[in-house]
Amino acid sequence: MKRQQVIIGIVALVLGVLLFATPFMFIGITAVKSAAEASHLGLSLPSKWLFWENFMAVIKARNYMLLLAYFNSTVITVGAISLLAVSAAMIGYVIQRRPSKWNGFIYALILAGLMIPPAVVPTIWLLKELHLFKTLHGMILIQVAYGLSFSVLLFRSFIASIPRDLDEAAIIDGAKPWQVFFKVILPLLKPITITVVLVQSVTIFNDFTNPLYYLPGKDNVTVQLTLYNFQSQFSSQMNLLFMNILLVTIPPLIMFIFFNKQIVKGMTAGAVKG
Amino acid sequence: MKSSRSYPYWFILPSGLIYLVLFLVPTVTAFWFSLTQWDLFETRFIGLENYSQFFQEPFLITGAVNTVVFGAVTSIAKSILGLLLAVLLTSGLLGQSFLRTLIFFPVLVSTVGIGIAFTEIMHPARGMINVGLSYLGIHGPAWLIDPHLALFSVALVDVWKGVGLATLIYIAGLATISSDYYEAARIDGATKLQMFFRITVPLVRPATVTVVTLSLISGLRSFDLIWAMTKGGPGFSSDVLASVIYKQYQAGFYGLSTAGNIILFVLVALIVVPLTYWFNRREVDL
Amino acid sequence: MASVKLKNIHKEFNGVKILKGIDLDVNDGEFCVFVGPSGCGKSTLLRIISGLDDASSGEIEIADKDVTHADPIDRGIAMVFQSYALYPHLTVRDNIGFGLSLAKRPKNEINERVNTAAKMLQLEALLDRKPKDLSGGQRQRVAIGRAIVRNPEVFLFDEPLSNLDAALRSKMRLELTELHAELNATMIYVTHDQIEAMTMADKIVVLNAGHVEQVGTPMELYHHPKTPFVAGFIGSPKMNLFEGQTAQEHGADIYGIRPEHLTLSTQTGKWQGVIKHIEHLGADVIVHIQVQALGTLVARADGDFAVTTGSEIYATPQQGREHFLSK
Repeated sequence: MKRQQVIIGIVALVLGVLLFATPFMFIGITAVKSAAEASHLGLSLPSKWLFWENFMAVIKARNYMLLLAYFNSTVITVGAISLLAVSAAMIGYVIQRRPSKWNGFIYALILAGLMIPPAVVPTIWLLKELHLFKTLHGMILIQVAYGLSFSVLLFRSFIASIPRDLDEAAIIDGAKPWQVFFKVILPLLKPITITVVLVQSVTIFNDFTNPLYYLPGKDNVTVQLTLYNFQSQFSSQMNLLFMNILLVTIPPLIMFIFFNKQIVKGMTAGAVKG
Repeated sequence: MKSSRSYPYWFILPSGLIYLVLFLVPTVTAFWFSLTQWDLFETRFIGLENYSQFFQEPFLITGAVNTVVFGAVTSIAKSILGLLLAVLLTSGLLGQSFLRTLIFFPVLVSTVGIGIAFTEIMHPARGMINVGLSYLGIHGPAWLIDPHLALFSVALVDVWKGVGLATLIYIAGLATISSDYYEAARIDGATKLQMFFRITVPLVRPATVTVVTLSLISGLRSFDLIWAMTKGGPGFSSDVLASVIYKQYQAGFYGLSTAGNIILFVLVALIVVPLTYWFNRREVDL
Repeated sequence: MASVKLKNIHKEFNGVKILKGIDLDVNDGEFCVFVGPSGCGKSTLLRIISGLDDASSGEIEIADKDVTHADPIDRGIAMVFQSYALYPHLTVRDNIGFGLSLAKRPKNEINERVNTAAKMLQLEALLDRKPKDLSGGQRQRVAIGRAIVRNPEVFLFDEPLSNLDAALRSKMRLELTELHAELNATMIYVTHDQIEAMTMADKIVVLNAGHVEQVGTPMELYHHPKTPFVAGFIGSPKMNLFEGQTAQEHGADIYGIRPEHLTLSTQTGKWQGVIKHIEHLGADVIVHIQVQALGTLVARADGDFAVTTGSEIYATPQQGREHFLSK
């Protein structure tokens, strides 16, 4: 490393920490302060560390709403991801492997899913008609519908790198179409499946807008909605609000620590091919 | 080809059906509902009245203008900053992988959480930013309180949160540029600045397309950050179409809300589709 | 009886005619090689026999059964791919046994048959490895093992040796020939390499631009090519082919003489020319001669034959070795 690189590096590190780490330090410090100290909005250390007190206060707030929210968010995330991963892989597989005059149309539908903002009120109307409004399974299906395009595109480009000879060898070996997919192709999709699962679970877990529209009501609260609900309730107790932010940030943080590489790979896919 | 037998279309069915029912059907029926007065149970056809109302209410027009401004500002800022950061963070600096991690992390954090935290950080008197600026002798602006500034303050936070993703996309793009080009340019006597504008910028184009398209789409549709920080205020100064849609929905104006949805849809299509087309055509010329 | 009969096979894809009416009989136990330049339709024909692709029209019989519309699994065939197409996530044992396990054969039967095949191909020590831990030659053997284990009536090979280096390729040629003798099964083998065709085949089918140019044993094709294409394609260096006077004298369109069937002399001969270029191969020497009346003539001579570039030389075709072909 040249001297210049070390010097610029140090400057960049100082600026980087200042710009990108201090907001998180602010969240962390405010979360363990007393309400009075927190209202000063400073970065000074708390005179008394109240981690446990604030933690319990947030957990107990509104009759353990946060725990229910964690449960709901987990159910939605896990449910949607399991449906998404396998079925998006199946779609990506068929449209990659089967050239047809429909491909342009199918591709346009997929891009539409990436681009078009969902029409919320008609969706609510439809969910009501189907008795899915305000239900967790309805929310799961919504997340599948909204996350499908992105997942299919990831699977499709990965499957393009798997030689077709493998499918044909399996067909010669007597595999039925579903056996070709589940016994030969699916096991080879592990790396991209991990990526899809990570990226989509962060997206779904962090989703605020869709639960806000499609999942109103106290019993259906999700983690992101607790923030919204507590924002008004805790307006004089900044410490508790920030403790809540801290708790909501933990699951993505854990994911990030363990799977940084795969998440980055999934989110930056497309940079190369455009 | 026997692909009809080997790759059956029923593979598309399970989630294709979900997609059809929960995404495509509402999108298509929205066009009809936007022409009605609607309470979810009964519809009354009123033609283009929702649209004319939309374009007569000044605050609704503000929403549409703000949407474009927000999308443009954030995507331009993200692509320029992202490229510069990517070049910086691939130059072999001390601690560059730590820095990459640091600026990417906000991408994964709850937008609402970030929004709430920055509302306090941007507090005009006690917020960290203005306190920091006062040490430098600068009197900081009223960020979210100032109606002329509120939208841009939210955009700033959006850039802060999203620039890490743009940077990583650019880093992936830079990795595909062969070092041969830079060596050839050095032999031709190019300066670092010339190399950046004549080699890096044109060759990193696919990444630029991705960054601009992605951030434009998400910027135009942006809702949660704005809602967490300003709720469209002060007044209607930071309202965007997505927040207008929500407000009209809350107020029970379902037809009007849906018209807003269609306008947002048309706006996204009018901006993104020609842009992608233009991007792709330029690519053929290369 | 596992003979393969093709009747008037046509294949059209996106308006392009790839196969233009192929009629062919491959006899039981025969080693039949489809050879031709790339794009001649040989791989397409193999895929149609395998059932991976459908013919646009025509009929296929395997072992006297009409299999034109049958699935690959019902045709009694096995196939070895150019890329080997080993399942990356399965061990060698599971790769070889994959087809049997799909057919729900009992575990011990699968084991027994996999072991027998592995023994035949000297793969016993590698059974628990994954394909990525194998060398090119070993992967090739696993691919063959996967075919053998199913006791097919017909083996199909799609350029199986093209990914191997030269030394390994000639070794595998020998092994495949031995395997054919041992199994006594019908084998259809596609290659663009005429040396593979010459060394391994009982019967060679030369394909060009979607039709059969000629069918015959290697020596028939060498000695009696019926078309200029076959004459030029079989044999190395290529046969000298000339249009013009020499051909017309014999009422043909094209006159052909193989380099090895020219006698060279410094004193006298039928054609006089100047040596333009010399390639020493050790045992042989290839001489390129500029002849006024013909153009460039390539001749093969004994390695000791002393010549220098630029000197004059005479070439004479050997009696009875000349070919007179029509277009």
